[in-house]
Amino acid sequence: MAYPYRHEKETRILSECFGDPSARTVAGWKKHGGYQGIARALEIGRDATIEDVKASGLRGRGGAGFPTGLKWSFMPKNTGRPHYLLCNADESEPGTFKDREIIRWTPHQLIEGCLVGSYAIGAAHCYIYLRGEFFETTQILARALEEAYAEGLVGRDIMGSGVDIDITLHVGAGAYICGEETGLMNSLEGRRGEPRIKPPFPAAVGAFGMPTTINNVETLAATAHIARHGGEWYRQWGTDKSPGTKLFCVSGHVNRPGNYEFPLGFPMMELIEDVCGGMRDGKALKAVIPGGSSVPIMSAEDCRACTLCYEGVEAAGSMLGCASVIVMDENTDIVKQVRRMAYFYTHESCGQCTPCREGTAWATRILRRIEDGLGTEDDLDTLIQISEQMTGTTICVLSDSLAMPIISSIEKFREDYLALIRRGERVGAA
Amino acid sequence: MSDAPFRNPGWAGNTGEFDLSEDDVRGAAYAGERPPEGRHPSTSASYPFMLVERDPYAPLFEGRHKERYEKIRSRYPTAMAALLPALNLAQELRGHISPETMDEVASLLGLSSAYVRGVATFYTMYNKRPVGRFLIQVCTNISCNICGADEVLAAFLEHTGTELGDTSDDGNFTVVEAECLAACGFPTCVQINERYFEDVSARDVPNILKRLTDELAAG
Repeated sequence: MAYPYRHEKETRILSECFGDPSARTVAGWKKHGGYQGIARALEIGRDATIEDVKASGLRGRGGAGFPTGLKWSFMPKNTGRPHYLLCNADESEPGTFKDREIIRWTPHQLIEGCLVGSYAIGAAHCYIYLRGEFFETTQILARALEEAYAEGLVGRDIMGSGVDIDITLHVGAGAYICGEETGLMNSLEGRRGEPRIKPPFPAAVGAFGMPTTINNVETLAATAHIARHGGEWYRQWGTDKSPGTKLFCVSGHVNRPGNYEFPLGFPMMELIEDVCGGMRDGKALKAVIPGGSSVPIMSAEDCRACTLCYEGVEAAGSMLGCASVIVMDENTDIVKQVRRMAYFYTHESCGQCTPCREGTAWATRILRRIEDGLGTEDDLDTLIQISEQMTGTTICVLSDSLAMPIISSIEKFREDYLALIRRGERVGAA
Repeated sequence: MSDAPFRNPGWAGNTGEFDLSEDDVRGAAYAGERPPEGRHPSTSASYPFMLVERDPYAPLFEGRHKERYEKIRSRYPTAMAALLPALNLAQELRGHISPETMDEVASLLGLSSAYVRGVATFYTMYNKRPVGRFLIQVCTNISCNICGADEVLAAFLEHTGTELGDTSDDGNFTVVEAECLAACGFPTCVQINERYFEDVSARDVPNILKRLTDELAAG
């Protein structure tokens, strides 16, 4: 079930129990087939589990879309050193609110996914890094984890298999950058959440210097189902390059915002007009950000033929990211919203790299100047120039994440910028 | 928005398509009361929340809280990794993290004061100075912003009679702007101490503040 609205067209795999408090308990979750995935994984073994996830074609749901099975296969074998699985539950990309729903309605779905992942990569300890703001969500997960320990599903000799897997909840303290996988590792270790240079990649040198895999909440939840049903089963949904189902987080000016689960490749306009009940107050669509604030903005025209899968959104000039669809109507002030995003990235820049620290801050000031009617047309060139210098020049992609909305908004909504600039000139502000 | 009557204060499950109470949505009945010493060590670090009543001079990590710290410490291969959980625990007891608190935590973990200062100031959830009994964090990021978050923030400031970041004279409220709280489908999302309030509009603000003051009066 989607939450807080339902739609009959949905395919409910991850979201089957959203809005159903009875599924929070071990017993409730088992009624829905819970813990059969880890049972089958333990039966078929590590390598076969990784092969299943590879065969499923599951791609990381945290935004980058890297194939999960391949990532798991990078983990070294027989090192004699501890391996770690880190679950990234530091959900903080503007527009994204799927992981919180997974955890608060189906905490055991995540715990089971963590067990499958830990087992596959040979990790005896999994840390779930939760953002600090998720207090209520964390309490639900904590209760579920205590239950799972009591039932012998987590800890020593899980389900009588001889395999030990511990899970620990680690709570962050409010920093967007800790959602970046190497920033997350630093934060887990008790450091500032500053991203690390790669290589070395986490599979070689990760948390506490040990081989580590970092997966998103939704990714791990999906692996619980794949472990249970096999890789081919998952491919019955989605496209060749984007198999499976995905939670789409729809926010903004639609009548029925919320999470909906569909096979990848679902048409964007059908999502907005049919599933989400169309635009609020019958207004016209102006723009969509399809994957969380870090991806290029799409115009209404770009959305017409766009299908929501990794390759489909790319063909439409943007990126699927974590499928956080932010819908904006005709009255939206694009410049103000880009400025608000720029402020966010300024606030969240960790400050290690100059192009990001300076670029985000200056971009915000220039955008504010334009918004206040004090801008000039040259400012647009300056913004593009700054953005280009923020792309591919830093340790992580935080600065690229601001460059993309700035460049795309100037390309697609130049008239909005010019209108503010001209209005300022008319009243003699500039 | 749904046609269902809006029953703020607020959680987004009231669309008429689910039969849910506020406790169901918040998970309060399932999660239950959390003991201060923690239950299982795996979950002992899961309590970074703002208590309404707190004591800036509360002793750190004594008795039950020491027990909780020991449980937390047992889950990590290094003492440094227990730093964030230890700071969270300190803030829970004292309400904010003063430079003195940072020094105490540093000596407990065997880290330098400068190092702990550097880490503590990196993270926004550590209050560097005292805040009101209720810390009201209004998300004004994009999804909430396009649905009127600026008006919600203005309403909180108006009805609490405070400036952004300042505490009201009665010590009850501090209103701040927050970055995305990951509840974008339920704009505007407002976090008040440990609770999320969803689907908040400017006209709901007086009701929410009344609920908070009623809770204070009821103890």
